[in-house]
Amino acid sequence: MPREVQTVRSGWRRRAAAIAAGVLAAGLALLLAAVCAAPGPRRRAHPDRIPVHFWHMWTADWKAVVERIVAEFNASQTRYEVIPLSVPSASADSKFLLAVAGGAPPDLMAQWNQVIPAWADSGLLMELDQFMTPEEWTRFQAEVYPVALKIGRYKGHLYGLCTAVSIWACYYRPDHFREAGLDPDAFPETLEGLWAIGRTLERRAEDGRLVRMGFLPQWLNMYAPIFGGGFWDEAASRAVVDTPANLRALAFLAECRKALGFNEVVRFESSLNQGQGGNVDWPFISGRYSIVVDGQWRVEQLARNAPDLEYRAAPIPPPTGGKRHAGWSNGNFMIIPKGAAHPEGAWEFAKFWAGWGDPARAAEFCTWGGWLPLWPPVAEAPAYRAFLAKHPAFGTFLDVLPSENIVPSPPVPYQVFLNDQIGRVDDYAMRGTKTPEAALRGGQAELNAELARRRRFGL
Amino acid sequence: MSATPALKMPLRRRLAIHACLLALCVPCLLPLGWMVSTSLKSETEIFPREGQAASAFRPAQLVPQRPVWRNYPEALKTVPFAAYLRNTLMLCAFTVTGAVLSSAVVAYGFARLRFRGREPLFALLLATMALPGQVTMIPTFALFRALGWYGTFLPLIVPSFFGAPFYIFLMRQFFRTVPEELAEAARIDGASEWGIFWRIFLPLSKPALATCALFQFFGAWNDFFGPLLYLNDPSRYTLAYGLQQFLSSYGGKWAALMAGATLFTLPVIVVFFLAQKTFIQGIATTGSKG
Amino acid sequence: MNAIRRHLAGYLFISPWLAGFAVFTLLPFVASFFLGFCRYNVVTPPVWVGTANYEELLRDPLFWRSLANTLIYAGVAVPLGMAAGVGLALLLNAEIRGMAVYRTVFFLPHIVPVVATSVVFVWILNPDIGLVNSLLRLAGIRGPAWLADPNWAMTSLIFMSLWAVGGSMVIYLAGLKDIPVALYEAAVVDGAGIWARTRHITLPMLSPVIFFNLVMGVIHSFQYFTQAYIMTQGGPQDATLFYALYLFYRAWRYLDMGYASAMAWVLFVLIMLVTAALFRTHKRWVYDAA
Repeated sequence: MPREVQTVRSGWRRRAAAIAAGVLAAGLALLLAAVCAAPGPRRRAHPDRIPVHFWHMWTADWKAVVERIVAEFNASQTRYEVIPLSVPSASADSKFLLAVAGGAPPDLMAQWNQVIPAWADSGLLMELDQFMTPEEWTRFQAEVYPVALKIGRYKGHLYGLCTAVSIWACYYRPDHFREAGLDPDAFPETLEGLWAIGRTLERRAEDGRLVRMGFLPQWLNMYAPIFGGGFWDEAASRAVVDTPANLRALAFLAECRKALGFNEVVRFESSLNQGQGGNVDWPFISGRYSIVVDGQWRVEQLARNAPDLEYRAAPIPPPTGGKRHAGWSNGNFMIIPKGAAHPEGAWEFAKFWAGWGDPARAAEFCTWGGWLPLWPPVAEAPAYRAFLAKHPAFGTFLDVLPSENIVPSPPVPYQVFLNDQIGRVDDYAMRGTKTPEAALRGGQAELNAELARRRRFGL
Repeated sequence: MSATPALKMPLRRRLAIHACLLALCVPCLLPLGWMVSTSLKSETEIFPREGQAASAFRPAQLVPQRPVWRNYPEALKTVPFAAYLRNTLMLCAFTVTGAVLSSAVVAYGFARLRFRGREPLFALLLATMALPGQVTMIPTFALFRALGWYGTFLPLIVPSFFGAPFYIFLMRQFFRTVPEELAEAARIDGASEWGIFWRIFLPLSKPALATCALFQFFGAWNDFFGPLLYLNDPSRYTLAYGLQQFLSSYGGKWAALMAGATLFTLPVIVVFFLAQKTFIQGIATTGSKG
Repeated sequence: MNAIRRHLAGYLFISPWLAGFAVFTLLPFVASFFLGFCRYNVVTPPVWVGTANYEELLRDPLFWRSLANTLIYAGVAVPLGMAAGVGLALLLNAEIRGMAVYRTVFFLPHIVPVVATSVVFVWILNPDIGLVNSLLRLAGIRGPAWLADPNWAMTSLIFMSLWAVGGSMVIYLAGLKDIPVALYEAAVVDGAGIWARTRHITLPMLSPVIFFNLVMGVIHSFQYFTQAYIMTQGGPQDATLFYALYLFYRAWRYLDMGYASAMAWVLFVLIMLVTAALFRTHKRWVYDAA
């Protein structure tokens, strides 16, 4: 039989229980109100038009920009309605792949990850050149910026239409220059010169801790092309890791770190605490770096978050014997998955955004996002010129954009794996755990092992 | 260390426990404290200027200079908060009911009833927790798509009515501490198994039931990927998705994000506080359980 | 007749889980096992390659590294977490004023959004201005770079896992509340002091719940993933490359789902072996009234 239950309740506990019950009731009432007040499922603004489902990874302020562009497109024609969906980047790839594998893909996706070769090879993407006439395709290949083409083209077909290209250059603080007795107008012409200036601008605490970094060259991916190297052997059509030029680049980076002290640099970097989405607390603003290499999107951010900060931009100077206006690049591009319900509408929207058709219109969009365009007519449009006048530092990036020495990651299906290996080479060399030679050899060995593995699997 | 009315703890021991707990409390309060304090700052106060420590978390300024309450209504405006709240509450309500009830039923079977294959089946139950979900994602997705449930809430709600291994295992452990004599006495009196379960075991396991309900509530409240995966209409997403909207690859609005995060956390804290006061703490038992 | 009825009752009670398993779980499980013998890039149909994936596993240095990392983590974090959880729950079971508040505070790290806890942790472990190193500096020691140091990154993550001990604490609390007060009263009458009561009543009566947390701790720690994914991405220099993280990379970054499925099943076998071993010790120390 059920045992006796002896409850211990005194006067004040009963009152407390009553209060708790009251709070719960209030909460339920609130819930009911929320349920009634909340809007129902999203209704189409133009139910009679052909829907184009567009997935993207932009959130916060950027999402507002995307929605503006979508609104402009929907207003500019009456055939299609673009329906945007913001999918946070952490899960976007999985959601996209699952949707395609499950037979329910979107019509268009805006991507910036290294996915084109892998996904194109798997038969996941539609060739975009099929939407162009042969003359248009020839014109496209001739007129767009070289790097935009390199990013989007794979095995002779276009799989990604670039709406924006990312370029890296040096940002520097004229006030730091002046304080050290240097002329901010005379930015060094060689990488070695830049390094020397960096050492002059460096500041340390009494115990040797780095307090301000003058200039720290880092990221093998970026510097390999600057030293005349790279990871793609065009002639042999294969990816490489261990080459003499790459070794020169890595050795330079490692030497710089060693001069500063490996551990000191590690501690300095990790103390900058750049957390999730925390790019707005950029250490450049707080003067922890005097000279830093970063992308063109910082210009817009600086204008918004630190409008009174004095700064300048200049291309990364090559070392003696290196390549001018070189570096690594990536971009935002549009892909259309196989199995999309309305690919023509997707293509129309992608074209509209990128400006392949109406460059003047697209120039406006680029100014909203602080983006570098797909091809020169967009950059020459009045809206873009006005933007450049407002943000002169942006001009530096635009100057570097047409260079042939700007290269994306190699067009191989195991691009992501390759990038991860390059990252590991970097990691080991930058901590002094391995010599640059050993690190590169290790990276090449990993690449070879993976290639052998792919061969064994018949890939 | 459980006190009864007849056994009051000496003052010294009580103070010692207080001191211990207070010291251990501090690290646990840090995330919440920082979250709330950042949510009340202006963007310029959050981020360092020249020469200051480059960190979004500066302990010296845990208390904001001038509380910017405005961040909260702004956060509410940025995302369709009401719709997300409604979806989240609905998911919580359904999955909590489904998971707790079904898991209790299944746990009783595993705990108190002898039948052939019980041990192997229980091992199978545990085995389902041992395979990383990454590799079953695609077949599961394909399964739901084949059932025609893609684009609806069904993949998120229906499986919870079939028992969740975690809760089943937990309830089984609790059920096994009830002495057999109670059940035997009830059987002799002619009660059915269901009656024994419903009238004896369930009431005795209120703390365990409450714990399962709490965990399921938190799970559903925080679930961001489930709705994202199976639904394409953003008006059906949940609060957890809304929170992600404040983050951005190139720079988020920290103050709004923290305001959103605080709003996201507060109801959960309240629920926990009330639940553990009522169910886990409320009733002290005596009687012939031993 | 009676036996058949009992068998039937047993199956009826567990039927919700059986049905759910058959419909939602079985197919994905079998599919993922089959995928382990295929080359599968998520998009194109899988291609049978026999045991090639498993052979590759043995050759892959990252497989062994990630396995070692995970075993080290499990070996340290599980016992530590259990000791901390039980200790904390015993403290929080005392009848002193404000206990509800304390319990809520300790549960906070479990429910505060990950975005806040990870930022706070990165600050706490910041080499220059972080809390830990500042305290060490007072003692004259120059603390390591924690998450950025290959030798200390794993320790940092284990330290972080203790933070979230509030989850298991709640389960212990529910278990503690289940212990009949009469036992304690009888022990006091017999003259038992606080430690004797703890050792001879509390811990044994709590053992089913301790066992639960032990098994779940093992299962979860072998699949540890989230914090490494968010905070270190496997670095520095693969020091925090956990098995489940490497699996995730292989599955979704390199689109090598077949290999990932093989990895998943190896882990599955490992977890089941350890769990089986734990269950074999069940009779020796876990209280069972059934």
